[in-house]
Amino acid sequence: MLNVMIDGKKLEAKDGATILQACQANHIPIPTLCFHKDLMPFGACRLCVVEVKANGKWQVTSSCDALIKDKAEVRTNSDKVKESRKLAAELLYYKYPTTKAVRDMAESLGVEVAEGKAEGSDCILCGLCTRTCHEIVGVDALKFVDRGLGRNVAEPKIEYVADACIGCGSCAYVCPTGFVKMEASGDRRMIWDKSFKMVACGKCGRYFAPEDQLKWISKKTGVPMSVLTVCTSCK
Amino acid sequence: MSAVSFSSWNGKIVDNRTGKAAKAVDAGVPKMLGDKSFTALMGWNGMVIADAGANVPSLALAYLKEARKLSCGECSVCSIGIDKLTALLEGLIAGKGKKQDIAEIERIVKGVMELSKCNFGRASAVTPVFDAIRYYKDDFLTLIGGKKGATRPYKAAVTAPCLEACPAKLDIPGYIELIRNNKFGESLNLIRKRCILPGVIGRSCTHPCEEACVRNGIDKTLAIRLLKRSAADNDLAQGASALKKPTAERPEKVAIVGAGPAGLAAAYHLRRMGYQVTIFEAFPKGGGMAAVGIPDYRLPKGILEHEIKLIRELGADIQYNKRITKLDMDDLTTQGFKAIFLSVGAHEGTKIGCKGEDAGYEGFVDGAVFLRDLALGKTVEPKGKVVIVGGGNVAMDCARSCLRLGFKEVEILYRRTRKEMPARPEEIEEALEEGVKVRYLVAPVSVLVDGNKVKGAECIRMKLGAPDSSGRRRPIPVKGSEFKVKADMIIPATGQKPDLRFVKDLVPVTGWGTIEVNPETLRTNLENVFAGGDCVSGPATLIEALDAGNKVARSIDAYLQGRTFEPEVSFKGIDVKAQRAIGFVDACAQEKVNLLDPKARVKGFAEVEAPYSDAAAMKEANRCLRCYRLVVWG
Repeated sequence: MLNVMIDGKKLEAKDGATILQACQANHIPIPTLCFHKDLMPFGACRLCVVEVKANGKWQVTSSCDALIKDKAEVRTNSDKVKESRKLAAELLYYKYPTTKAVRDMAESLGVEVAEGKAEGSDCILCGLCTRTCHEIVGVDALKFVDRGLGRNVAEPKIEYVADACIGCGSCAYVCPTGFVKMEASGDRRMIWDKSFKMVACGKCGRYFAPEDQLKWISKKTGVPMSVLTVCTSCK
Repeated sequence: MSAVSFSSWNGKIVDNRTGKAAKAVDAGVPKMLGDKSFTALMGWNGMVIADAGANVPSLALAYLKEARKLSCGECSVCSIGIDKLTALLEGLIAGKGKKQDIAEIERIVKGVMELSKCNFGRASAVTPVFDAIRYYKDDFLTLIGGKKGATRPYKAAVTAPCLEACPAKLDIPGYIELIRNNKFGESLNLIRKRCILPGVIGRSCTHPCEEACVRNGIDKTLAIRLLKRSAADNDLAQGASALKKPTAERPEKVAIVGAGPAGLAAAYHLRRMGYQVTIFEAFPKGGGMAAVGIPDYRLPKGILEHEIKLIRELGADIQYNKRITKLDMDDLTTQGFKAIFLSVGAHEGTKIGCKGEDAGYEGFVDGAVFLRDLALGKTVEPKGKVVIVGGGNVAMDCARSCLRLGFKEVEILYRRTRKEMPARPEEIEEALEEGVKVRYLVAPVSVLVDGNKVKGAECIRMKLGAPDSSGRRRPIPVKGSEFKVKADMIIPATGQKPDLRFVKDLVPVTGWGTIEVNPETLRTNLENVFAGGDCVSGPATLIEALDAGNKVARSIDAYLQGRTFEPEVSFKGIDVKAQRAIGFVDACAQEKVNLLDPKARVKGFAEVEAPYSDAAAMKEANRCLRCYRLVVWG
């Protein structure tokens, strides 16, 4: 256990925890959009910023990807922190003014949000889907399109590799804005504009998983398809 | 050099606008880029206004637009911040601005510098705009109230500390980012643009980029070399991609003498442009020093062979065992060659100034020859004790190879101390781990023999004097300190030089025994003969040779097409490492590099260094701070 000082209070933190995890464990609320407890931190939304004392100076840092150290001093509610979070939220709102998750976040951090319907469902590049696809599913069907020196990519975006996708729907589940759409009808599932054949449960007859996903699981685990074609409720 | 009107470079303010006596400008302040001077410049580290009449708001807008191209867009602050700043500035220049816009620009600029995820956002994306608003506020205020401003085009160039340190100027943050995002294939394509031997360089580069890495000041450098290797290894594991064919063929034939890194790089780029390329190679295999100088335990031959095979498949005709003993220009012209590139390397060992070294004693073998013989399949009988003379990479390679061949004792004699040793630090470390002994401050003075066979060396102790031209302290012999060292074999490995007899009286040679060329165009005194690599630079690194090959291809292309050769923008004279603030960066350990156990290593020539797994490579790539540096000028 580490002894830390957060917002002037003496608290304990687990060795190896990030500042964000330490705060969460101590019930100190920190806003996040791109964080998920089961995924590697990404530091994209910049909403989780806090101040840490480093070399005798208070410095702003994202808390999701910075480890907390023994005797660390952290501020999560100073004016500087509030101002910084507000600016990050304000910029997100500037770019995605109609997306509900962004509007709600901006409003909660003191940004003046205009009246109007939250009908947008923009991709805010939080990287939750790319990380889920890589770290949890392991098929790497979603990747960032990089921008940079000599690469003519006008806007940052996420690329969908249809050949690699198994249609599991994890990305749609984890997406905070509703950008990733998944629809089911009969024996088909549509996701990212790709149509997947669904498998019906051998016992109850319910369409419960895409064939490609079951094949993938079978390949990974060595469990034969005949076993996998029974849904979890009937097992 | 005239003094500047204003400079905020490196955070140091020089302000001569009010007609005050001109203050001396810091040596690090850019006054020109390449050979060209400018009226105004904005860069990652500030702004420099040479001409007081420069249009600062227009330049600031141009800077933001260039910065937007480099912003990765993954964090919400940098790219959206730039978007909002651009909109505000465009409004002001269009005469639609309000007074509060200026305060708003200031607030967002500060936010981007403080909140951005990477070092581009923090240190480069908006820094000079911060200075412009602060020191040229009046220029922005005059735009309020309906008065329209002007805009004009500017030039832009990008570098990074690692990129700048790389002799071949690889887009290191770029290919690391692609690995981070799980795009190994695209990463390799980006690497190949300037490094056509990625698997080779990923294993054996001296990696000056890693010394320049900004992470050094925080925790430890990115493992840049190993990440390049990951991109190459991943491609091999995926079934090996081919090189992209030229879009159109050109009829002009180009001859290249020597299939080392310089020759191969030139051949690749010339083929990509569509030229017909023939390489004449003296040895039975290509790769130059990568083939006959770097032992298998550092670079398994299959890696090099694969990368050469790709260049051959692209259409470069490599003719092996074809040593050019005399360059016959008439013959080459008759054969239809329009341009010739000499890249013969430096394969001849230099003398160590030791009595008996020229006598041809049995057991006295030059280091370069020793490694070459070994690489070309000659069997070497291990003897009792071998003594290697020298402290460079070739000396280490000889010593470590000897251990693997089964020599009972391997000792290096070096005339200076470990601190001055030119070999890569990890190479020295690994050699010591394996059991190589090193005697410092010792040099041989004469070879001791029994009949015609080497039996040892008479040595003298040295002490260090004042630094010489290389910056290292010069070794001075200590009189009367002579002593004997037993040895069954002596391998001098102190340096190499090119064998230029084949171009005697044809091209001029420098005092160093290298070919003299124009450093920009790599052209010799003959208009269609170019030269590069070790035969011009003297023994240098593989990546420097690759750079010569990259460069000469552009130069030969310009010559063949009757264009003037345009060198790339140079950041020479600007400290690319310097930046004003980085903010808080959490320390993060480098991904572990696994090495074969020293005891297992010396049993054979198996590769010592294990690769990163793809997952480990992606994790390591995630440590990159993305320190792109942008300059915009006009």
